Amino acid sequence: MNYPAWDVAFGAGLLIALVAILHVFVSHFAVGGGLFLVLTEQKARRNNDLALLNWLKSHTRFFVLVTVVFGAVSGVGIWFTIGLISPAATSNLIHAYVWGWAIEWVFFFIEITAALLYLYGWEKLDARLHEWYGWIYFIAAFASMVVINGIITFMLTPGNWVKNHQFWTGFFNPTSFPSLFLRFAIALALAGIYALITASVQKDAALKARIVRWSALWIVPSLAVLPALGWWYIRKIPADVWASARGPMPTGTHYAVLAAVLLAVTFALALLTLVRPGRIPLAFSLLVALVALGAMGSFEFVREAIRKPYVIGSYLYANSLYATQMPGDGGFSVDEVNNAGILQTAKWINNRELTKDNQVTVGREVFRVECQSCHTTNSYRGVKSYLELRQWDQNEIQAMLGGLEFMHNGVMPPFAGTDSERNALAAFLSTIQPIPAGAAAVADGKTVFERNCVMCHQVSTADPFYSKLPKDPNAANEALKDLPSLFPLMPDLKLSDQERTALVQWMNTQRSAKGPGTATQGGN
Amino acid sequence: MMQPNLIPTLDPNPLPAPYWVFKLLLVVTFFLHIVAMNFMLGGAVLALVSKWRSRKGVNGNRVFFDVARKLPSLLPATITLGIAPLLFVQVLYGQFFYTSSIIIAWPWFLVLVFLTIAYYGFYYVSFQSGQHARKAGRVMLSSVILIFLIGFVYSNNLTLSQSPSRWGGKYFADPAGWNLNLSEPTLIPRFLHFMVAAVAVGGLFLVFVALANWKRDGEYARQVLQLGGKAFMYATMAQLVVGVWFLASLPRDMRMLFMGDNPLATILLLVGAAGGIGAIFLMSDALRKENVRVAAFYVPGITGVVILSMSVMRDILRDAYLKPYFHPEQFVVKTQWSVFPLFLVLFLAGVVLWLVMLKRYGLFSGTKAAGTLPSAGSQAAKQS
Repeated sequence: MNYPAWDVAFGAGLLIALVAILHVFVSHFAVGGGLFLVLTEQKARRNNDLALLNWLKSHTRFFVLVTVVFGAVSGVGIWFTIGLISPAATSNLIHAYVWGWAIEWVFFFIEITAALLYLYGWEKLDARLHEWYGWIYFIAAFASMVVINGIITFMLTPGNWVKNHQFWTGFFNPTSFPSLFLRFAIALALAGIYALITASVQKDAALKARIVRWSALWIVPSLAVLPALGWWYIRKIPADVWASARGPMPTGTHYAVLAAVLLAVTFALALLTLVRPGRIPLAFSLLVALVALGAMGSFEFVREAIRKPYVIGSYLYANSLYATQMPGDGGFSVDEVNNAGILQTAKWINNRELTKDNQVTVGREVFRVECQSCHTTNSYRGVKSYLELRQWDQNEIQAMLGGLEFMHNGVMPPFAGTDSERNALAAFLSTIQPIPAGAAAVADGKTVFERNCVMCHQVSTADPFYSKLPKDPNAANEALKDLPSLFPLMPDLKLSDQERTALVQWMNTQRSAKGPGTATQGGN
Repeated sequence: MMQPNLIPTLDPNPLPAPYWVFKLLLVVTFFLHIVAMNFMLGGAVLALVSKWRSRKGVNGNRVFFDVARKLPSLLPATITLGIAPLLFVQVLYGQFFYTSSIIIAWPWFLVLVFLTIAYYGFYYVSFQSGQHARKAGRVMLSSVILIFLIGFVYSNNLTLSQSPSRWGGKYFADPAGWNLNLSEPTLIPRFLHFMVAAVAVGGLFLVFVALANWKRDGEYARQVLQLGGKAFMYATMAQLVVGVWFLASLPRDMRMLFMGDNPLATILLLVGAAGGIGAIFLMSDALRKENVRVAAFYVPGITGVVILSMSVMRDILRDAYLKPYFHPEQFVVKTQWSVFPLFLVLFLAGVVLWLVMLKRYGLFSGTKAAGTLPSAGSQAAKQS
């Protein structure tokens, strides 16, 4: 709202994900691979293994081409991309942590210089000096990771920074150490995984076997400790941050499971390389790398999913609104926007007046400034598919928009704006997936539940849905007529008689079927 | 139409050091970035020129590959030195910079794609030798064109960032970000001003190549000196024309800043112009006498002063453009004393370590590696 919103047709979030995942897959290699280079060089010299040393020279070139070129450009790329898509968050990150970034830049400068001198020094320097550059490279790369890790974990779990805004409070936040160790283990594993690629094109089978076994020594133990480090990391994440991954739309959990599965596959593939280490083909090593990329990407998606609805935890929502009013927020906190309205607060909108005739147009603008940093209409995280699933008409959409922050255990920010702006957004959304009012009425209680209740409620006797609603069908039916009086935070959703009857009937069958205390996930 | 209400407000975080600290860092790191960029781009252009001349029997392919082998170091130097001003410009001018970037989002994003391709192109060429000269030339040309395009996008973004009155029209016409700032009268002269400067300074890079070869291969070094020195002279002469064009294209009140209204800006312009003209004569004399020391030390020294004064002028011009919208007093300053000194210490340590790294590699002592003595190795290892 403060900044213009870049309208990316296929999804701004997808673009960030693409740039970020490719970057982390290379930047972690840049750290672990640095240690790999220098330790492999020492090993080769110690054993007088000239073949290994020669391979390492070509591997250094590969390393530089991947990390110094793609790694560096994609790292700048993340800056470009977040500045385009989340300028408010970027501005906050810059002002709060510019000295962190500046320190990181010093390490980065040393790192890049050392990498190039290490590469060109193969033909020029004596062993000891050459290894000296290797160590400097690794230490600088590691230091650079420490800095970035501190700031990235700050975004997820800022801890007391939200209260005191102190640099080091945010830097040494609850997840900084577990994340650092986790990332370092990933970096070491990736060093081995990338080494498999250049090893697999070697013709000398004995040499290839030596490299593959040595690489496995990097991959297998590092991957073996990852579950423990992951557990430590997860334990340090506050329950309210994890909540959205445990709700009825557990995207974070899905990605966590995917990450674990792909990690296990990577582990198994790494062990497989040891069966015939002298004969692994390029395709196989690329497969290992691809699966590892999938695991790494899934891990980053977990982080991103559980960070929702925030981009900086408990401080700034993903749609660039501040969670609480504070001095200097420019009027861009949820409460202020609720009071003043989007049309009066937002800078980058065309329509300042809402009339009967321009509802959809204004609604489209509201969507652009408030929803589009994460959603598209019909593509990545497209609202169309969601609305198709729920079959809400305009009135239902409008009612549901009032409780966005409660849906799916709080994965979304609240709608900020006046009631009439909410109506306008509902009017626009109902053009994406038009459902005539009342047309979607169904007589199947389960469907009624899945369309209208599952985003907040679970089929569990522990859920207020069961505990608060009377067991008597008539009384329950009556209570469902006025949801806000049942509980003030409920949306004022008007179900038809037929729907209420079906819902109550279905609920009571669930009650008897499940028995007390059982919980199953509803919805999709 | 003026839409001052479009300018984003600052975020609530205070500035973590006084304004002038960031201003100084911005101007100094921009200067370093632009020097590296000039070496890289100008060097690449002149490598192509010498290759083209090689068809006339000049030893151009050798110059081409000599320069090409340096590009994989000059491009990361440009990028790395570019990250710092990119950081500091966001600290001070984020409101303007993010906004203009978003308005031209896709061209701005494509910079990354162009850069990656150009970078791999440079590496490809640096790995080739004489027998693939023709293909290497074509790849190099592609990389150079891509880098020109990057420069053009930068000129678009930075001119747009200081023209808020043009934002609304462009954004609302295409919120998807397929915009440029082509209607800006200073765009072309400004872009050319930077690109012609790159060729001139690229000429100085060739002079350094000549210096490095002076004792080893005098005849070759003399050829390179002539090529680089002449490129410097002609490009600097062209720059006088482009510079006047750029000055003339500025709005009157901006132009007058450099013509008396602002004494510092006026002096800097005079220093720049006089330095440029002086450097041309000095280079001409050095070429006639084949005096590589003058060409490789005095001329670059003067040019450095010229570039530095231009960097400050650029900053004065930006603040003049933003005067109605940007007020340094707007910043709440709360210096982060727990980390700012740490940056300074690490920065100085980094510079020392960096110099030690180059020295031990032998970059300051001719061609031989300096670190062949084991004792030197162990000493510096302790320092690290």
